[in-house]
This record gives sequence, C-alpha cells and structure tokens, in this order.
Amino acid sequence: MSDETTNANDESAAGKDHGVLYIGMDLGTSRTSVSASNGVRETVYSIVGYPKDVVSRKLLKKDVLFGKEALEKRMSLKMYKPLEKGVLKYSDGDEQERMEVEKAAQDLIREAIRMAKPRKDELVYAVIGAPAQASINNKEAIIEAARATVDSVMLCSEPFAVAYGLDMLEDALVIDIGAGTTDLCRMHGTMPDEADQVTIRIAGDSVDGKLAELVEASCPGAKFSVQMIKDIKERYAYLGDPPERVKVTFPVDGRPTEFDITAEVKEACSVLVDPIVEGLRSLIASFDPEFQHKLRDRVLLAGGGSMIKGLDTAIEQAMHRDLGGGKVIRCEEPIYGGANGALKIAHDMPEEYWEQLK
Amino acid sequence: MADLKSSLKDAVRKLARQTSVDSLKKRGVKQVNVLGLDRIVSLIDEAVHRSLRHKLLSSEREAVVDATKEEFLKLLRSNEELRARQERAEEESNNLRLEMQRLQGEIDERVAEASVDLVAGYEGENAQILLQIQSLFANAKGADDPGLVAKVQELVVKLVTEQRHEVEIAQAAARDREIHNLQRRLKKLNDSLEFTEQKLDEVSRMKNVEEGVASVYRDVQGLKGGGQEVERKKELMAGLFAANMKLQKGG
Repeated sequence: MSDETTNANDESAAGKDHGVLYIGMDLGTSRTSVSASNGVRETVYSIVGYPKDVVSRKLLKKDVLFGKEALEKRMSLKMYKPLEKGVLKYSDGDEQERMEVEKAAQDLIREAIRMAKPRKDELVYAVIGAPAQASINNKEAIIEAARATVDSVMLCSEPFAVAYGLDMLEDALVIDIGAGTTDLCRMHGTMPDEADQVTIRIAGDSVDGKLAELVEASCPGAKFSVQMIKDIKERYAYLGDPPERVKVTFPVDGRPTEFDITAEVKEACSVLVDPIVEGLRSLIASFDPEFQHKLRDRVLLAGGGSMIKGLDTAIEQAMHRDLGGGKVIRCEEPIYGGANGALKIAHDMPEEYWEQLK
Repeated sequence: MADLKSSLKDAVRKLARQTSVDSLKKRGVKQVNVLGLDRIVSLIDEAVHRSLRHKLLSSEREAVVDATKEEFLKLLRSNEELRARQERAEEESNNLRLEMQRLQGEIDERVAEASVDLVAGYEGENAQILLQIQSLFANAKGADDPGLVAKVQELVVKLVTEQRHEVEIAQAAARDREIHNLQRRLKKLNDSLEFTEQKLDEVSRMKNVEEGVASVYRDVQGLKGGGQEVERKKELMAGLFAANMKLQKGG
C-alpha cells in the first residue's frame, strides 16, 4: 500500500455498521488471486468443475467446485479451465461451448469475490486485472460476472496493475509471466496503450509442454500426467546452476522408478528467455532513444513464471548479449503482485468514478 | 448456566473457520497462538458479567442474563432447525432429480417403441395371409380361376391394411397421450425441483451467513494530497476510468 493508503484512514473497523471494501483481483489462466482491504488474501487454481450427473451431485453435495478440490474430484466432474492463453477459451461458432465457458468464468469470479469475505453491509469496489489482449466480449463477460456481487467494478491490464502496485510508473518494463501468456508492458508515466504492450504466447504452459516432451524422451516407459509435470516445475524450476538435483519418481509398468531430470528442467525453463528478450528489444527500440537506457535498467519480473530460480539472471545475461545491458528486478510476491496492484488502484480511484460506474 | 456454557462451546466450535497447516505456511505463518475452547468460553462469560456489573443493578443483571441466555439458545435452536430444513430440501431435491431421470427414461423408451419398423413385420404377415388364401382356393371345388384368387387376395390384403392403419392410429394416439402425460409430469417435477432448489439455496444462505471480514476503511478513499506523483496517479486513474466508462457504458 502507498503512503496515501496507510495514512488515509486507519480507523478501527470494530463497531462500524458500514464501510468500503476494496478488492483487487488477478484473473489468470492458472490461478486467480484476490487481495482485499480487509486483509484477506487468497488464491485458487482457475479450474471449475460441475458434477457430471445426479449421482455425482448427490455424492459431492455441491453444484460447482473450484481449484484443487475440483482437480481432486475430477473423475466425477465436467471440468473447465475457462481462461486459455489469457482469454475466455471456446471454439468459434460453438454457441453451447461459449455459454458453458462463460458460465464457468463467471462462477470463478464470483468464487474469487466470495473468498475475499465481503460483509453484507459494506460497499464493495473491485478492480480486476484482466489479460491485456482479452476481447471486448470477454471483458463484458468478466464485468457481468463481477457485477452480481460487487457495487462497482473496473478492469485494467495485468502488467499495469503489477507496475502500479510497486510504484514503477515511469521508465520501467514489466514482464508478467503467466501460464498462458507472457505480457510485457512499457511504463512511461501515462496509461500504457497497445503500442506499449507485447503479448507472447510462450509462458508457463509452454515450459510444461517442453518438460513433458523432454521427460518422455529421457525417461523410457515413464507414465505421467500434465498435473505431475506442473508440480515438478513449480517445485524445481531453475535456470543457471542447479540448486539441487531434480530427482523425481514416475511409475514404469506400475512400478515407481526414480529419474534424474535436472538437465531437462533447465532446458524446459530456458524456452522463456529468448522470446522475452526479443519482446523487450521491440519495446526498448521503439521508445525515445534518450530514455532507452532507463527502460533497460528497470525491468520488473512478475507473475507465477517469475518464481523460476535464476530466471532474472538468465534474462539479464541475454540482455547483455543482445541489448548491450540491462537490470532485472524480481517482484517479491509473484502470486499476489497483480492482485495487490489492482487493490492499490481500487484504493486510489476517486469516489466519483466508482459512483459513475455503478 | 452449565447449559449455556456447553452451548457456547458448541457455537464457538461451529462458527470457527478451519484452516490447514499448509495454508498457514503458504501465508508465511510459522507460529500460531493457541487459545483453548474453555478459555474462550470463560472469557466471553467473564466479559459479559463484567460489562453487566458496571452498568446494571443485581436484579436487572439477572434479568438480562436470563434474557440473553434465552435468546442465545433460541438462536442455536434456529440454527439446528435450519440445518434440518436444508437436509430435507436436499433429500427432496435429489429424489426429484432421480424421479425426473426415471421419467425421462420412460419417455425415451416410448419414443423408441413408436419408431420401431412395423413394415417388416407386416410383410411377413401379408405373405402368410396370401399363402393361406391360396391353399384355401386350392382345396375348394371349382375355384381354380387364378384371376379370382388374385382378386380375393388383393381384397383381403386391402381390408387387413385398412384395419392395421386404424389400429396404428389408435395406438399412436394412446402413445401420444401417454408421452404427453409423462411430459407434463416431467414439467411439474422440473418446476418442483426448481422451487426446492430455490428453497435449498435460501436455507444455505441463511445457514452460512458468513459475517465476512470488515474492511479497514469506513469511507471511499481515493488519492489525496498534491505533489507531482499524486497528480500523475490522478491522470492514470482518469485514463483507466475513461477506458472502463467506454467499455461499460459505451461512452
């Protein structure tokens, strides 16, 4: 929170019968995170599951399940991962699928707001960090879903929310590595427009795909699922020198067998570096030449993908090689960076703006 | 008072939110302070008494304690009643769903029956009738005119076909009535299910009245003060608002 925030109003919440709750949300392909002005911070995998039939419904005693719980009960559920490559995912022309995906997205947003534990007697104002390249229809669906539970809602681009949260509003480049996309955003003191943003479709899911490919080739007979690969990545992902050997166990013909996949993990993670540096180059090269060095020296690495150990150093080295130098700072809270930034925007937004959007 | 204490304990237990060690770790919590249930109950008890002691006379105090106790127990009872209502509604809803599934199956069966190909069956029957007429004429004296045999066969088949057609119409009408009835029952069940689920939803909402966590703010905040940094942020907020206004209100 900014100084304005902390000094603005620290009245005790006790005893009041009315108040204003701000919610910042990061709606991501892999996770949806919320930060709220009541101190609640929660995250959930962006997965929605509905019971397949009457029997499953009776067994689960729920109409809809989310995140890890949905993953655990996936055999009894019709599963949706509504955000793919950062936008609501459905095949063109399939009206039924479109409606189902939109419903799943809306349920996910409602759940995220519920997780923030709003009180019934408070005004709820939310800012949702949406993917920069989400279509108008997607944005409308997101707003529609949020409106059901909040008094007023605004959307902003995810990398902008991250930058705002860290007060990096001028001469900075933000790299937000999600599961579906990597968003790069140039901050130069004004609202970033299309020319200030680059979206790369190589992100966390690409690392999973590459790792699965490498494991399949180097671990003969090993059986594994996408989720197992994701878990390995989240635990061991690294670039540079390995902090430890990556030893994992996969079943081979039903027998648990240990494999050392240290090199494979590093190779899979490295798929991110060159496309990111290429994106940085295009944003730096099209900026005022007088200030290009400032941008290069203030690169912020955020999003779930930034948790890859050594990624900041790897990008810096590649920038030295290709762009003649650069400095990369890692966001301290990769999971909540976007949500915290959105919360700060919500806090700083003047009252009349909220009123007009009611 | 012992009753009230045990009810208080029960209520604290019910209202407590569970969290896993993992989720605490995720939030960076390494140590937690533990407060026993008995201690919480005695603290509540003590707090109520202290507060009353300062404000009320002894007789009033007892009246207030009794009234509070009664109100508290009433609340607990209503909570239990709500739970029972929810369970009943859930069961009703599941039964309705199963009944709907059964009815839908029955309708599907009837529709499938209706579309069974009767033509093949009729062809076999026709062949049999023709054969019987032929053998009847073969055994009858003076009835060896092939033209006559063919005419009689044609007449009989025509009559049988007409009869069949009438029977088919009657059967189809009966089946349609049955399907129509089943569909009406299905619709009623559907309405009933919708109503039950609404009730269930209401009960769930009443039961899980989550108080929520209060915000630290009483009023809308917004940027305050002056300075270059604040002015810049105000411009950013205005830009963001304009984009959202266009998206949400089209202007």
